[in-house]
Parts: sequence; structure tokens; C-alpha cells
Amino acid sequence: MDSYSAPESTPSASSRPEDYFIGATPLQKRLESVRKQSSFILTPPRRKIPQCSQLQEDVDPQKVAFLLHKQWTLYSLTPLYKFSYSNLKEYSRLLNAFIVAEKQKGLAVEVGEDFNIKIVSKSQLPSENREGKVLWTGWFCCVFGDSLLETVSEDFTCLPLFLANGAESNTAIIGTWFQKTFDCYFSPLAINAFNLSWMAAMWTACKMDHYVATTEFLWSVPCSPQSLDISFAIHPEDAKALWDSVHKTPGEVTQEEVDLFMDCLYSHFHRHFKIHLSATRLVRVSTSVASAHTDGKIKILCHKYLIGVLAYLTELAIFQIE
Amino acid sequence: MDETVAEFIKRTILKIPMNELTTILKAWDFLSENQLQTVNFRQRKESVVQHLIHLCEEKRASISDAALLDIIYMQFHQHQKVWEVFQMSKGPGEDVDLFDMKQFKNSFKKILQRALKNVTVSFRETEENAVWIRIAWGTQYTKPNQYKPTYVVYYSQTPYAFTSSSMLRRNTPLLGQALTIASKHHQIVKMDLRSRYLDSLKAIVFKQYNQTFETHNSTTPLQERSLGLDINMDSRIIHENIVEKERVQRITQETFGDYPQPQLEFAQYKLETKFKSGLNGSILAEREEPLRCLIKFSSPHLLEALKSLAPAGIADAPLSPLLTCIPNKRMNYFKIRDK
Repeated sequence: MDSYSAPESTPSASSRPEDYFIGATPLQKRLESVRKQSSFILTPPRRKIPQCSQLQEDVDPQKVAFLLHKQWTLYSLTPLYKFSYSNLKEYSRLLNAFIVAEKQKGLAVEVGEDFNIKIVSKSQLPSENREGKVLWTGWFCCVFGDSLLETVSEDFTCLPLFLANGAESNTAIIGTWFQKTFDCYFSPLAINAFNLSWMAAMWTACKMDHYVATTEFLWSVPCSPQSLDISFAIHPEDAKALWDSVHKTPGEVTQEEVDLFMDCLYSHFHRHFKIHLSATRLVRVSTSVASAHTDGKIKILCHKYLIGVLAYLTELAIFQIE
Repeated sequence: MDETVAEFIKRTILKIPMNELTTILKAWDFLSENQLQTVNFRQRKESVVQHLIHLCEEKRASISDAALLDIIYMQFHQHQKVWEVFQMSKGPGEDVDLFDMKQFKNSFKKILQRALKNVTVSFRETEENAVWIRIAWGTQYTKPNQYKPTYVVYYSQTPYAFTSSSMLRRNTPLLGQALTIASKHHQIVKMDLRSRYLDSLKAIVFKQYNQTFETHNSTTPLQERSLGLDINMDSRIIHENIVEKERVQRITQETFGDYPQPQLEFAQYKLETKFKSGLNGSILAEREEPLRCLIKFSSPHLLEALKSLAPAGIADAPLSPLLTCIPNKRMNYFKIRDK
């Protein structure tokens, strides 16, 4: 049962992106309907291509601007126990105290009103006349994560995808607090070559008005004693032409199509260099929609397909948790 | 001593690692033995530098003395720059003149000074008939910037010059002109070859790495040649595999030779070729335009890495000529189009 259909309600009343990050009421409604459905296959051999028209009007480009063009480190997060959206101020106070205790440099913490908890960290060192610079941002996210929701009780809040930008040390401290307070567990989200290929295919399939970046793949070759990296950049229009030639089923992306798309690239490369890229390790894919690295780093470039990207990442996070 | 000169010498000396300092100062040969003996090199670096500057002041160091020190530093730290290769040629029917170093240096300097007025040109000759040239660029109205010089290594018995590619691009034509005219050539062309390793570039350009290859007798029976196979090979590998492995080893050796490869860090290919697939004839079949691709290979030691690919089973043997031609064609930047 393909449950990636677009939300049946054009979002009830609200067009706030926050509702798509952490669905409050709409998602609970869907939880009920999902519980009645039959079992769900986690990585289906086909999935819907993020359609621009379904999602574009729901995302205000200005509001999500802070998410774009930044590198995010990904983590999967097990469900939070007894987390309540109404206690955000209290949580911010506790987190603040915790950070102060841990790091004696006096980092002040503010928590925004939004559902997605944005932690703004200001340094209290002498440069107080400057406007506070955002040093670290982290956000919790769950987009279309139905499969997880149906398995947990109501005490738990499911926000399986966590993205962090900023110093590793800050991520560690904040992560520790959340783990202690809500009995959850963070785990770095690695992205394997299989999923990178899917991302490359899906994002190449996205219809774009204009391309802001070349489409690029990076492989790491396991030869010794010297390491070898191979970067293959292809003009995005040519990549799209190749995809369109491979793509047969409208509105969906299938495993065969992804495999064929990658095989075409391998074959074109082999014709010139006699090297089998399939014997090497794909570590990074980059398109005008987004770029992803196997170490769990992502950069989103296009607000139009933000939801689609997050949906896929949520799926990967859920898969890692289960 | 001019303040700017003092500052420049100070910054240059500060760059030099302590364990190289005495060697470089001796090579510079500006401060006398007696002066150097008065310096306590076991102090903190700042104190050593202070003392050295003081000595330079005593001897009234000029900008050309400072420039010479900079050249020597660069000779010890060649890999800090990326080097490019220029090839010059004589016109048809022109004789090969006897090279006169003095005349070359005068001519080179004059050409630059006439064009720019403000330019610092320094020379340092080395063995192998090579001369290192350092150029600090200024303009008609501004003094030369000593901190962004260009270095050129010209091998006078050859038509080749190697330049550090960090220079301000607008001076490239002038530099080319000066080199060409001063060395009595007609034309200069930039080769598609770039690397941090000057020695490797030399080896490739002058084909020096090939010398041992010439002595190889390729009719020597297989057993006599060292195949690099592990003697204690896994006995589970059956005969056919051994034959294939030996074939791959032999071809790899014929292509790359027995000697260490010149060190390059990358090779770049700009491809504009049509897609032709063996898998499925219909893909992009009607498309006339080629696929525009840019492929880059990067490695601390590219040629050694490429050499290991076929034996590791990651590539076919023989490897593509696009890769194996790098040392022979003396290129690591390529533009490939369908014929």
C-alpha cells in the first residue's frame, strides 16, 4: 500500500511549514486512518516523485530560507517519551541550565515558539554589542513517517529525523540533554550507496525551471596503497535527458529505473576509461535539488522539493531505528 | 635598510622551519660566517629572527638580496605551488643559437621593465642548465607586490619553462613574451599539464622516467620477469584465474613499466561525447547532442593508483589509453570529443 499520497487535506487552515515538520493535529488524524491499514513495506520498490504542484504552495520560501544552502548533519532519533509541545519554555530553561553547567562559558539559549524547536545559541563573551549570531541550529522532523507512528503508544512523540548545523561539541551536549530528558537515542545517519543512487535518480527526475548546480557524483576507489577519488559531473540538462529516456512509469520511480540510470552512467564511463565504477564506492551525489554525502551530510538547495527530500530522509531515519 | 625590505625578509625567514634555517641561510650566502656564528639558533624563533634582521641591517640588505632568499625558500618548498608547463618553439628554418645566459637574463629583465616600469626580477642559476626566475609584479604607478611573485624555472637547453600558476593572470601574456623573446624563440604555448611536483613534471616533460624502460627486453620469458605475484598465493585460485592474473600483470607492467611513476595529483577530462550504450540500444538513441561531462581523478599519487586498478579487478587490462597516455602525451587536462 503506497502511503506516500499527498495529504488529502490541503493543509487544514494552516500553511505553516511547521505543520509538515512535526504534524500536530493533522498527523494524529492520519494516525487513526493508518492504524486501519495493512502492513507497510518500508522501502518500496517504487515511490512517487515529489511533484512540484502538490507541495509548492505549501512551503513559503522565505520561511524555509534558513534551511537551504547549509550543510546539515543527519541523525536518527528514537521516539521521545513524554514530550509535550506546550512545555517548550520549560524545556528551554532546563536545557539552558544544562548547557551552562556543562560548558562554563555561559552560552545562553533561546527557544523559538515554533513547533520545530530552534535553539539559538548566543555567546555571552564581550562582543555583546553585536547582534546574536546563530552558532548552532538543530531541528527535529517527521515527514510522512506513518510507519513509525502506528507502532508507538500515545506517550511517545515521533520525530525520527534530526538535522544539526554547527559545532560538533554543541550537538553532543544538546543531544545528551534530550537523551536524558526524553529517554531517546540519537544515532548518526549514514547513507549507503544504494540510497545515494535513489536520491540521485529522484532529484534528477524533479522538474526544474533552471539549474543552479551541475549534477555530480563522487566515487571512492578502494585501491591501495594510494587512494583514488573519481568525480563525474554531468550537465544537469543532459542528466535529465538521460533520466527521461530511462523513465517509463509516469508519476513513479522504480528500482529498475534507478538501476538503469546508474548503469547508463557506469557504461558511459567505462566506454571511455575501462574502469568499473560499480566496483567502487559511491560517496556523494549532488544535484540542483540537494546534495548528500555518505557520512550523513546533506545540503538542500531548492525549496520547491524540500518536503520531498525530507520525506526520503525521514524514511531512512525510520529504517535505521527499526 | 628599507622598512618594507626588512619586513619582507622577516616574513620570509619566519616561514622557514627551524631545522632548515641554517641550510637556507648558508645557501643564501648573504650573511657572513662570522655573523651567523653570533646567532644562537636554540632560542625562541622570534628572537632568532630579530637577531638575523639586525644582521641584515648591518649589511644593508637590498630588495634583490631579499628576493634571492625568497627564491631559495621556494626551491626548498616547491610543492607549495602548483606548476604549469610552457613549451616554446622556434620558427621554421631558424637556427639553434648558442644559449647565452647573461644575454638571456638582460633581455628578459629589460622586456619586463620596459613594459611595467615597476617590477622586481631576480635570477638564480642551478645545475642542469636551469635558471630560477622570480618576478614581483607592479604597474606603471604601483610598486611591486613582493608577496605575490611568480616563479619560473627555465631549462635553457630545452624549450620548456615551468611557472608557478598563482600569478595574476593579466601578466601571463607579458611573461610569455619575455620568455620567448629573451630565449630567442618564436612562439610559446601552455601545455595541458599541471602538478605540485616539479620533479614529476620534469620527468614527464623530458621523458626521463623512460630511461630504465628502454633496457627492458620484452621477449624475456614470463617466468624470468618479476610479476609481483605473491609466491604464497592462495591455492584455491584455480589455473584459469592464474593465467588471467598473469595476463593482467604483464599488460600493466608493459603499460606502466617497472619504475616508480612520476607523481601527479589529478587528471581532468572534459568530455563531449554521445551516449552509446551496449545495455539498451534505445536509450538516448535519437539524441544528437553529446553528453557534457567533466571527469576528475584525484589521488596523492595518481599514476600509481591507476596502475593498481587492473590488478585489483576494478578496471580492465589494458587500461584506457585516455589514462595511460598521460605521461607520454605530457598532459593531464584533456578535452575529448567524438571524432
